[in-house]
Amino acid sequence: MSRSTHKKEYEIAIIGQPNVGKSTLFNILTGRKAHVANWPGVTVEVHEGETYFNGNKIRLVDLPGIYGFSTLSLEERIARNYILSGRPDAVIVLVDSLNPERTMYLAIQALEMTGKVVIGFTKSDAAHAHGIHINYDLISKRLGVPVVPVSAATLRGIRSLLRSAIDVARGKAGRKKPFRIDYGELEPYVSSIESLLKQYEERLEYPIRWMALRLLEGDDDLYKYVRGVCGEDIAEEIARIREEVKKIFRRDPAELLAKKRFEYLQRILGDAIVRLEIKKGCFERFTRLFYRPFVGPVLSLTILLGMFMIAFTINTGFPLNILLDSLGMHDAASAVEEYSIGGLMEKLFSWISSWIINSFGESWLTDLVANGIISGVGSVLIFLPLIMIVSLFLAILEDSGIAPRMAVSLHGPLSKIGVSGHAIFPMTMSLGCNVPAILATRAIPSRSERLRLLMTLPFIPCQARLVVILAFASSLVSGYGALLVVLGYSAAFLAFAVVNKILYTYEKRKTGGKEPEIVLELPPIHRPLGKVLWWHVWDNSKHFLKKAGTIIFSLSILIWFLVNVSPGIALTDNPGESIAAVISHYLSPIVYPIGIEPGKAWIIAFALLIGFIAKEAVVETLTILTGTSSAQQALILLGLTASQLAALTVFVVLYVPCIATIAVIYSESRSVRHTLATIALMLGIAYVAMLITYGLSLII
Amino acid sequence: MNIYNRTVALEELPSGSRARIVEIMGRGGWIYRLYQMGLTPGVIVDVVLNIGRGPVIIRVMGVEIAIGRGIARRIIVEPINT
Repeated sequence: MSRSTHKKEYEIAIIGQPNVGKSTLFNILTGRKAHVANWPGVTVEVHEGETYFNGNKIRLVDLPGIYGFSTLSLEERIARNYILSGRPDAVIVLVDSLNPERTMYLAIQALEMTGKVVIGFTKSDAAHAHGIHINYDLISKRLGVPVVPVSAATLRGIRSLLRSAIDVARGKAGRKKPFRIDYGELEPYVSSIESLLKQYEERLEYPIRWMALRLLEGDDDLYKYVRGVCGEDIAEEIARIREEVKKIFRRDPAELLAKKRFEYLQRILGDAIVRLEIKKGCFERFTRLFYRPFVGPVLSLTILLGMFMIAFTINTGFPLNILLDSLGMHDAASAVEEYSIGGLMEKLFSWISSWIINSFGESWLTDLVANGIISGVGSVLIFLPLIMIVSLFLAILEDSGIAPRMAVSLHGPLSKIGVSGHAIFPMTMSLGCNVPAILATRAIPSRSERLRLLMTLPFIPCQARLVVILAFASSLVSGYGALLVVLGYSAAFLAFAVVNKILYTYEKRKTGGKEPEIVLELPPIHRPLGKVLWWHVWDNSKHFLKKAGTIIFSLSILIWFLVNVSPGIALTDNPGESIAAVISHYLSPIVYPIGIEPGKAWIIAFALLIGFIAKEAVVETLTILTGTSSAQQALILLGLTASQLAALTVFVVLYVPCIATIAVIYSESRSVRHTLATIALMLGIAYVAMLITYGLSLII
Repeated sequence: MNIYNRTVALEELPSGSRARIVEIMGRGGWIYRLYQMGLTPGVIVDVVLNIGRGPVIIRVMGVEIAIGRGIARRIIVEPINT
């Protein structure tokens, strides 16, 4: 065997229930050098990272946060199959020191599958403050595996956790066999199934007792597997035993087994954990506000709106500049705008562009660099600070425990459109980027709700579309600019609400669908860890910078060529003769209805076409096509009316966000039909909404 | 005395009350999530907040959980006098 006991490389899995602090610990263990592993046939993000300890190389595999090992969700299935595959040399199960009785449930289930387990008690620094004292040695002795208290805040126990994991991997610690829980009056039934399976032990890949328990619980996947290996007779016999349990105990066996496991945990932990009474913080009273009708939703929406207002102001001066302007403080208003981060960066990029042209002379190359690459990438890069600030706010909400309270507060209003409070996480994430938001819908327990969200979440404008909206707004007189932003977001949320409502009503009529439901854990409110916040901010910024450096950079070059080269492959100064113009002449008619003249229509049409790839590119296409250095100048040059800008904004906000979003909708729904339907829906609604906006704005 | 005479739905319990779960009715994915979160018959729950509309907030094994009313209606409990 190549897997000798003295090898210097180990694969160690980390699992834990949601909210136990798993990601934080994983990042500490790997020194933030993790990457998303490509697991064949799996779309769930599995992170892998490496670390070295005492000369051993450790590959850490971060499995998704799950409550148990049923096959309730894709995440649970993946984690379970991985642990049973025999690949991990050890499994670290993280348990929350603040509520060990509940979070140990996953550990005990892992122990039923394998003996190669290390239990890590997270947040051990906070446990004392909460009056919780845990006898780790006693728990370790009872379970037969190492138990290590760790803290992400103080870094206590990190080394000892790794040391124990290696000991387990080498067989120096841990159990030789999976843990046996005594299921009491259910034991006879479990052993009947066990003895049925025993005859096929050679051909079955999983531990017999674990299989017996899962089959009793009613695991459909496993049942099919057993029927395949052991044949119809054995399968029928197992089903009969399950029915008997149901009849005798008048309960679902899954319920009986879960109950037994918790009772067992109670016995193991009962005298190993001492809780002292603690006083409720003032936070507690504040969080109750979220649960009140009317006050709760208003509070949540105010927080979200306030967050975006502050972020916008720091970055672009908007909407503070408009406020100051309307108060008659015109100088202050323009100062806020000029010295906003966005304003300063814009100045910097246009200075670099003119510096290049001035020092290297005018040639096609300097034009490509200055007007193609720098103004293209620059027009997108100025939004980096905005992205950092918004990510910081979202990270604070998530890490402090406020986010789930907001989900509860908005559950009522959201359920009117067939969406549960769970949807608030993907919805808020969508304001940043649709791609992770669509992945986040996996946590939504209702499948039909999830499919509806896959179709409608892309309506919510991501930061790329915000870039376009703000660019359009910058070309209007400030008051109107603000209105345009409001219009863009209102159109988006209106489309989201209306389409959800229609799909939900249709579904209800067809299948008598149920009201959206919520079951959500509310972790204690706490102060977020600085480093965790920074990780969130840095991850998002990195993603954005990577995109600006690769996609936007290449698109800038491509667009410059399409715009400066004629179909006869000759440089041209007149964009009207370029390849881009030729391509987009066919598309121009789509913007005729909003009164854009054919001479300019192709520029808009081309920008919208490029916008399919990435929305930010709409802005850079416009600046490159018009040979200007900012979107503001480009739009002024195009001479669009306020009505036309409003109509275009609505279109840009609502039509297909980007290639990446489409790809992830496909990988999540696994349905070409669903994906194409989403594209058609978005294009149709965007176009109709554009025409309506134009018509309305003419009347007003 | 038959304990079933004293059972009510979790949804009907006022804030601050304590009860023991007797039965969880219905089926579907929800039920397994509830089991995993420690809501099984025999377990004691504290109602943290129930204002008659919106999710019911309960505490089970030291963890606060928000439960939609539709589900709270199907969790049958036996109130405990404190």
